[in-house]
Amino acid sequence: MLSKITVSPAPHISKAYSTRSIMLDVIIALTPAVAASVIYFRYRAAIIIATCVLVCLLTEWLCNTIRKKPNSLDDCSAILTGLILALSLPPAIPIWAASIGSIFAIAIGKMVFGGLGSNIFNPAMAGRLFLTASFGALMTTWTVPATVDPGMSAISATGTEAVTQATPLAWSKEAIKGKAQAHVANQQLTASFLGNTGGCLGETSTIALLLGGIYLLIKRTITFHIPAAVLLSAFVCASIGFLLKSEAYVSPLLHLTSGGMLICAFFIATDPVTAPLSQKGMWIFGAGVGVVTMLIRMVGEYPEGIMFAVFLMNAVTPLIDRFCKLKPAGGVPHG
Amino acid sequence: MAIEIKSKLTFPGGVHPPEYKEITENCAIEVMPSPKQVSVLLGQHIGAICKPTVAKRDKVQAGQIVGDSDAFVSAPVHTPVTGTVKDISLQSHPVLGRALAILIETDPENDSGKSPSPDRFDKDYDIQQYSSEQICEITRKAGIIGMGGAGFPTRVKIEPNPRLPKDLLIINGCECEPFITCDYRLMVEWTWQVLTGIRLAAKAARIERIKIGIEDNKPDAIEAMRQSVNESGQADKIEVVVVRTKYPQGGERQLIRSLLRKHVPSGGIPPMIGVCVLNIATCAALAEAVVCGAPLTHRVVTVTGNAIDRPGNYYVPIGTTIADLIDFCGGLTERAAKVVLGGPMMGFAIADLSRPITKTCGALTFLSQEMITKAKYDRRVTPCIRCGRCLTVCPENLNPTKIAHAVKKNRLDLAEQYYMSACIECGCCSFICPANIELTGYIKTGKILQARAKKKIPE
Repeated sequence: MLSKITVSPAPHISKAYSTRSIMLDVIIALTPAVAASVIYFRYRAAIIIATCVLVCLLTEWLCNTIRKKPNSLDDCSAILTGLILALSLPPAIPIWAASIGSIFAIAIGKMVFGGLGSNIFNPAMAGRLFLTASFGALMTTWTVPATVDPGMSAISATGTEAVTQATPLAWSKEAIKGKAQAHVANQQLTASFLGNTGGCLGETSTIALLLGGIYLLIKRTITFHIPAAVLLSAFVCASIGFLLKSEAYVSPLLHLTSGGMLICAFFIATDPVTAPLSQKGMWIFGAGVGVVTMLIRMVGEYPEGIMFAVFLMNAVTPLIDRFCKLKPAGGVPHG
Repeated sequence: MAIEIKSKLTFPGGVHPPEYKEITENCAIEVMPSPKQVSVLLGQHIGAICKPTVAKRDKVQAGQIVGDSDAFVSAPVHTPVTGTVKDISLQSHPVLGRALAILIETDPENDSGKSPSPDRFDKDYDIQQYSSEQICEITRKAGIIGMGGAGFPTRVKIEPNPRLPKDLLIINGCECEPFITCDYRLMVEWTWQVLTGIRLAAKAARIERIKIGIEDNKPDAIEAMRQSVNESGQADKIEVVVVRTKYPQGGERQLIRSLLRKHVPSGGIPPMIGVCVLNIATCAALAEAVVCGAPLTHRVVTVTGNAIDRPGNYYVPIGTTIADLIDFCGGLTERAAKVVLGGPMMGFAIADLSRPITKTCGALTFLSQEMITKAKYDRRVTPCIRCGRCLTVCPENLNPTKIAHAVKKNRLDLAEQYYMSACIECGCCSFICPANIELTGYIKTGKILQARAKKKIPE
């Protein structure tokens, strides 16, 4: 009758999902952005995305093999890191550079800390930061989407022959320095909403990213705290600049729709591993990302700044966790 | 037939596990005859463990006290059958590990079994004939303890205490655990007995205000209780309050939070905020003890799950072994993979089917292989990804992942910094964890290690 009877601690039922299904959900949510990048940047986008994902998987497998650890590819987090890294790279990046970025992201960004769950920094952002620091010129060459310039085939590794175009935020930076008018940048609002403009692969299409973000919120894969905090704080900062000096600072909407603000709010800052645990902590973390990004964009030298903001806030996440310690519902117990 | 009722009264946190109540919710309470042998545990409650008052080979009458203690926080145990004491020996116990139990062989000629008597109660039943002291005394003598799970002696709970005055009696009819339907059946079938028990308890505690909390997934029970409260003319004193269906709504701390928007202090007890909480089955047993003079020797147990032949709600002699109960219910099916004493969220998985049913055991859940493959321990445990879901669902607003990982690294000091002792072990964190980490298991281990370090429990 009873061939095998199992014993384990309670509870004996659990929600039917796993780390893997959460990662898959985020990957599904990124598909509109992937599709948009392929539409706008054609085969370049497909090649870069495929490279990043494959190299990330390979690196994780190698790291596990070297460390004699069980294979962890089936949690799908390497695929996700590869996707996010690819989507945050400029379209003209050579394949070897994308590969180096992927290797750095997984090996140094994640595996040296002990793998998934132990990393301090967002692996994709670590990879991108490494590329920015090492190959600055490659990382700031913005190719015009194929929908604007049909001569996409001219893109090459050096990017010099390609038709390049300043991103909306590059215009914004010029405006702040007094070299251009802010309204020139503001005119690109519609383009940046659709994605029909220069920029990183996955950053350009606002609609695609919004779709993915809404999917994640509906599936409750992420909570609204971090996206709301990032977007609200960035909006407030941008509005202050815009209202004070509208000829120098671009419209807050442009800030929200370009330069990776949305991919950050929904996909990068919400990476659970590197964000605080408590909801209060999430608000602080998100607000920090938004404010630091806007400071870099409006006062600093870089036109974008998402990457640095996320990196900086990742670094203070343990501190935020410590300051936002939960109090038990019934008050602190005595003794 | 029942109207849809939705309530907004709830507590922060909690989870919505699948309910599975449909398996037994329409099974009327059925009486199980006395088995050939019972094994009555001497420690079924919180407090001092009883000492046997009978010796080997003694003849005992059904309802006779077989174990008692002089301690204030304790309750005697009785034999549910007439027969002979066969042995007094150590038996496995879900909480204490091992405890003394009295094995009694039933005498089939003299044992008549016990039938419930819900018909003796109606709306005109006069409770004024008993004084508060009398009810308290009977409650103790009948061995009545909290039958919802914790097993705190009811007499200690209801007796007026000048240092902790109580002004509200909350009756817990939530039954938030999936699968379990024993309290639901009691409310629907033995409505008058339950209500009489509630009034007796209030009388004993000298409390004038009563709230009966029932989850909104039990419209029939809400209707039955409301109707009987109105018919008995007690509507000014007793209020039936509907609360939202959410696990662990039936935890007394959570129910108090839902009803009163007040928190019982961490590590404290409800009387600290002037509240006394009793479970439905306890009230039914109290009424039976006072009115019929019958001690607590039988209780309604929900036998459920998808791996038992004949699930249902049974009136079972306390001390019946699980194996005997399984036989009475037609045996296990081929698919049985797990036997859980209690519900699936907080129950103990057991391997030893010779264990007896205790006063606190409201359900036996038999889970099949298919059902447990959905559960976490059948899947691979992956590292914590710090998603924070366990923090969101924790009804006590704790940080389960930090406590569990501190325990894992044997850092009890760190675990206590995250208020390990405030955990109510409801299992929400383990239920929700996408990485399949046994958070509740670690926290329970940590608490036991802590108690051992303080020398409360021997190794």
